[in-house]
Amino acid sequence: MGAAESGEDDRELMARLAKGDREALTPLVERHYRRLYRIALGYLRQRDDALDVVQEAFVKVFQAAARWDGSADAGPWLSRVTVNLAIDRWRRNRRRGQTFSPLAEGDHLEVLADHGPAPDRRVLGREAGERVAVALNDLPERQRAVVVLRHYQELSLEEIASTLGMSLGTVKSSLHRALHRMRATLTEAKP
Amino acid sequence: MILAHLRLRRRVSLHAAGLLFGREREETLAHLAACARCRAEHDALRAVVAAMERDPLRSAEPDVPAAVLAARVAREVDQTLVRAGRPRWWLVALPATAAAVAAALLVPPLVKQFRPEPRAARATIPPAEASELLEEDALARIERNLAREQAARYLNEAGDVLVAVAATGIDCDRKDDRLDVGAAPERSRELLEKRRLVGDEGGEAVASARGVLDDVELALRQVAELPSCVKRRDVELVQKDVEARQLLMRIRLMTRELEG
Repeated sequence: MGAAESGEDDRELMARLAKGDREALTPLVERHYRRLYRIALGYLRQRDDALDVVQEAFVKVFQAAARWDGSADAGPWLSRVTVNLAIDRWRRNRRRGQTFSPLAEGDHLEVLADHGPAPDRRVLGREAGERVAVALNDLPERQRAVVVLRHYQELSLEEIASTLGMSLGTVKSSLHRALHRMRATLTEAKP
Repeated sequence: MILAHLRLRRRVSLHAAGLLFGREREETLAHLAACARCRAEHDALRAVVAAMERDPLRSAEPDVPAAVLAARVAREVDQTLVRAGRPRWWLVALPATAAAVAAALLVPPLVKQFRPEPRAARATIPPAEASELLEEDALARIERNLAREQAARYLNEAGDVLVAVAATGIDCDRKDDRLDVGAAPERSRELLEKRRLVGDEGGEAVASARGVLDDVELALRQVAELPSCVKRRDVELVQKDVEARQLLMRIRLMTRELEG
């Protein structure tokens, strides 16, 4: 998240949004939506869901622009809204018994929807993505968010803490536990 | 050594994640050089991180341009405002029902009390019946508005699908010149399933939209037949058809009209 992405320009755009100026929406979306999409996609691993979440995040941002504390950068706030919505979506999908679905035809990836063997479903695409999907699927919500922000957004520990509203110590512990858990899952999943 | 191992365990993870710097990093590296168990653990965690680094999702691009997403957001905000401004059905129905009940109970005795000598029957509507008509009229208006809003939502969603197909430029198979239209075919099928609810059951309320709805249905049927990775010329056929019918513009105008 560079300065160009969250400097004064964002503040100006947010101020315009707060006054109901819709023209400010397009540059704000243009600036942030790829990053937010990758956060949501890293978390949900489902393209349609990820796009819905990003759209919902911008709707929330638009509606809450007037209440936004202009002293902080908009970038982490946008990321936080997106992560929270992704977690909500994840829970909803889980309730429907759809923890994650095969991914992205465009990426030539197809991942299994559960941990068990499914010989009738062919696993295509890149092995790394599939294995990661299975391991991420096994993580608790917040650990999953920490991993996504670190390894799909390359945020620093401080940025992750700020985005998720967690202490630095909690972020470190979460990442440590998450990596160990993923390692265990990947080891079990190895053929 | 055991104590150092336990103390440094979290640092080993952070180092594998590329998050240690300065003195902490130096200490951890020194420990890794001396501790085979931590080194093995570090290597295993590094493999996890490396797998994530190879994940193609890290560079995935959204299949919708920023301008389209911004337009969707603006529309969603508008719809939320409309929903927030719209009175709840029971806020309308309750007073109407109360008025009808009160009229039914109070008006006939009053009418009886003050009624002059019987005269020839007049062609007026009895009060209770008038209240019923009033209530029916209010409910009919609500139904009509709901039907129009539903049709507007339907057209909006259909417009999104058609824009997604028209705007796609993502190759999914360059060799065979195929483009990725994502979930558009699936969404089209879902929308086609809802079509009857919108057109037929909307009745007169959506009569003016019927032409656009019919053309949208034809376009959706074309999209619904597509696979998600589709030959460029098939996408172009859909695009041409949408353009020839000026469908996106008509959807926009009709949506505005339906939303009042």
